[in-house]
Amino acid sequence: MALFLQRLVDGLSSGSVYALIALGLVIIYRGTGHLNFAQGEMALFSAYVVYQMGEWGLPIGFALMIGLAVGFVIGAVAEVGLVRPVSKKSPFAVFIVTIGLFQLLNWLAGAIWGDQVLPNSGVGSEQQQYPSLFPDAPEDFVKVFGAAIRYQSIGVFGLTMVITGLLFLLFNKTKFGLAMRAVASNTESAKLVGIRVNTVLMVSWGLAAAIGTIGGVVFAGINNSVSLGLMFTVFIYGSAAATLGGFDSPGGAVIAGLMIGVIEGMAAGYIGFIGQEMKLAVAFIVILVVLMVKPSGLFGTAKVERV
Amino acid sequence: MKSLFTIKDGSAAHWALRLLAAAIVVAIMLWIPTKGSNGLVTSATEALTLMSAAMALNLILGYTGQISIGHSAFYGTGAYVTAILVSKYEWSPWLTFPVAFVIAFVVGVLVSFPASRIKGVYLALVTLALALVFPNLLRWPKLESLTGGGPGLPNSDSALDTTGFDIGRREGQMRNFEIFGWDPFGDLRGQGAIPFYYWIAAGIAIIVYIVIRGVVKSRAGRSLIAVRDNETAAAVMGVNLVATKAFAFGISAGLCALPGSVTAIRLGSMSPDVATLTILGSLTFLIVMVIGGAGSLWGPVIGAALYVIVTDRTGNWADEEAIPGLLRPFFGWSKIPPGTGIFAVTLIALMFVAPRGLVGVWKQYSPRIVRVVPRPAGLAAATKPVLAAVDTNTTPEGESE
Amino acid sequence: MSLLSVSQLRAGYGPINVLHDLALTVEAGEIVVMLGANGAGKTTTMRAISGMLGRSGDVVFEGTNISKATPDAIVRAGVAQVPQGRGTFPELNVEDNLRAGAYVRKDGEIDADIDRWFDVFPRLQERRAQRAGSLSGGEQQMLAVARALMSRPKLLLCDEPSLGLAPLITQELFAVIERLNRETGLSVLLVEQNANLAMQIAHRVYLIETGRIVATGSADELSADDSIRKAYLGF
Repeated sequence: MALFLQRLVDGLSSGSVYALIALGLVIIYRGTGHLNFAQGEMALFSAYVVYQMGEWGLPIGFALMIGLAVGFVIGAVAEVGLVRPVSKKSPFAVFIVTIGLFQLLNWLAGAIWGDQVLPNSGVGSEQQQYPSLFPDAPEDFVKVFGAAIRYQSIGVFGLTMVITGLLFLLFNKTKFGLAMRAVASNTESAKLVGIRVNTVLMVSWGLAAAIGTIGGVVFAGINNSVSLGLMFTVFIYGSAAATLGGFDSPGGAVIAGLMIGVIEGMAAGYIGFIGQEMKLAVAFIVILVVLMVKPSGLFGTAKVERV
Repeated sequence: MKSLFTIKDGSAAHWALRLLAAAIVVAIMLWIPTKGSNGLVTSATEALTLMSAAMALNLILGYTGQISIGHSAFYGTGAYVTAILVSKYEWSPWLTFPVAFVIAFVVGVLVSFPASRIKGVYLALVTLALALVFPNLLRWPKLESLTGGGPGLPNSDSALDTTGFDIGRREGQMRNFEIFGWDPFGDLRGQGAIPFYYWIAAGIAIIVYIVIRGVVKSRAGRSLIAVRDNETAAAVMGVNLVATKAFAFGISAGLCALPGSVTAIRLGSMSPDVATLTILGSLTFLIVMVIGGAGSLWGPVIGAALYVIVTDRTGNWADEEAIPGLLRPFFGWSKIPPGTGIFAVTLIALMFVAPRGLVGVWKQYSPRIVRVVPRPAGLAAATKPVLAAVDTNTTPEGESE
Repeated sequence: MSLLSVSQLRAGYGPINVLHDLALTVEAGEIVVMLGANGAGKTTTMRAISGMLGRSGDVVFEGTNISKATPDAIVRAGVAQVPQGRGTFPELNVEDNLRAGAYVRKDGEIDADIDRWFDVFPRLQERRAQRAGSLSGGEQQMLAVARALMSRPKLLLCDEPSLGLAPLITQELFAVIERLNRETGLSVLLVEQNANLAMQIAHRVYLIETGRIVATGSADELSADDSIRKAYLGF
């Protein structure tokens, strides 16, 4: 029982990270119809920024604020400067641009901070560990039915739920949220009712990047370190979640992310055959199966393709 | 548009031009191993394997329009097939090439079946996942007896020692290159092996080029282009979508495995840590292909050459001293070599100014110098897409313009 | 001064120029109808006025030149369009569609207006929580009109509202438009292929052919002219 609970909570914790990445992907896809390949690396870069703020002695709260701002700006600038001008040309060009952005952000992080795992006293890091949002010492856990549930796991899950709730409010109870939904539904008509579509798109990307940043920071906190390859697999898991949930359903993305986290944790733990190395294959298979059976995902709306 | 020279397709002048171009290429290819330094030959070998992989990717990305960032897995399949067969079963390396091709072909066809139902970006995700899973698959303890495993963690050292085989570097193994007892290359021990690897890589590159050219210019090739341009219309015109895509993907995968085998032979060892077997490899193929020019036969060639040149020159630029003075302010601050960053920026910039890559730019401006005028229609097989004739102006339903 | 004054309007799609020095006016309180065949340039004109595509020439609304304005500024100025093909937000429910229509407004009477339009179009009220995409063609058209009116425009542009609708529904719709014009002084520019119904509510009519105005006059005048009637109006 204790083991089961342990695995469940761990699964929800990592699932929360996947959910956050998936949320970012879905917000962008709904607004612009593009898949943002650079989603993970935008989060990565901001996570490095938060590390740097920690190096300079800022408490994690402020560091996170700055990280969020940086993330938002990266997303907004990417949309205005790179994606929008190119989207007139072809979807292929947009795809290549996001791939290029993926590479660029990853390289830039390495160029600024180097390619070793950080923090690293060998290169002069002040911090022992990557700054964590939640109490992270070995003794910070609560015992439930014999399982040691870390505060961090609870915190990560709780934070994700709060963010999901806030987004729900944004989309459904605010004027700007209505504008975002309108643009996602019919961009031309959105213009005709006086919505500034360009602004909505830019903010959508910024918002998505900011949410991704939280995911990156949280994940680095769980890992206690940040490195250049941190977000590769998380991006895949997030994409699997977005696919499973349906690329146009934010709620679906969150649920799917949690599901994948739990399934992956359970499968790896209980089905010894799979083991740690092949957990990623689980995500791969999920994406493949969903795309073959119900391409619009569990909660997405099927689109009829006009010839 | 004025041209300096105008020549007719198929005329003597045209043939002379083509022969000249071919002669130049052959001359370069001969010069490198005979007169070039060992470093240059090794770089050229890397460029040739990269070219082959990029050309293979081009078949589905440039011509069929299917996105794949998973070709590192096919490359790795080739590398490991060769590594396993030679080190565990003592096969002759020559025989591993066709086996690698076939296995990768089959995998490619299998992957493409779900792929034929999913579009663009979804396919990109699936292939990305494939690229990420592949190194993990190699490290899987369940397969360790076959693949030599690796401890399963990216930053452990032991992987390099345990995956072991040696080709061509030790005396006892030389006999594996014999063809029915005849050793075509003489003594290849030590430094002598370097030009040898170059020729293997060149041979593979030429084979890949010929196969792709054959496919593209054939009827099957035109089906591919039709699928890229408008799937639904192609299906209506009788193109078997699933078979076409599966065929293309299979060939592309199989061809991509060959340079992997070459690399296995060249390195003399293989491990999941080799960068080209990871997602970084896939991205490199993609970058090379797009910069050179997607959808053109020579694009990957130019792109690969450029990539290797730049990467080699800037490889040690993490150390500020190594950078030429003028460029120091631009790159000196960086903790890692700037190569990847340069290419990332180039990739993005290209989408703005030259989406068809360097070859696209060449095709745009070279007609100003020499223009080839096609022969009158009525002769056999144009290579234009099947759909040119179908491209009528239909107004969308309901619009009154 | 005319409410809307268009002159020397050129617009098109890329290299193709559809409108050639088009000129028309709409006076305050008028219903103006523009008739023309498929491909004549009616939708291009509407889109040009609303700023949805590149255009050159003069478009003056209430004395302000809007020929270089962005679509949202034009809506704020008081011009709202019911686009061809309805253009509803299919994933949003009926009420949200209406709310979106009021996007540019900052006053507190939006809810009251929503109720008012539900009175005018009772069928929409029945379906207020339903996704707009699941409504019938006629209902979507009413929704599109109500949505455009939510911004309290001074000029309503309607692009082929009868397209794809049963004649009875079209009559109902035109009756609503005519009533609004009569009771509130709403000015309307309506483009149509279907001459019959549109002419019945028009104060003035323009005939457009290949991007140019070829005739203009009151509905009676144009019906009286035999050659015009036969060539353009089909009866």
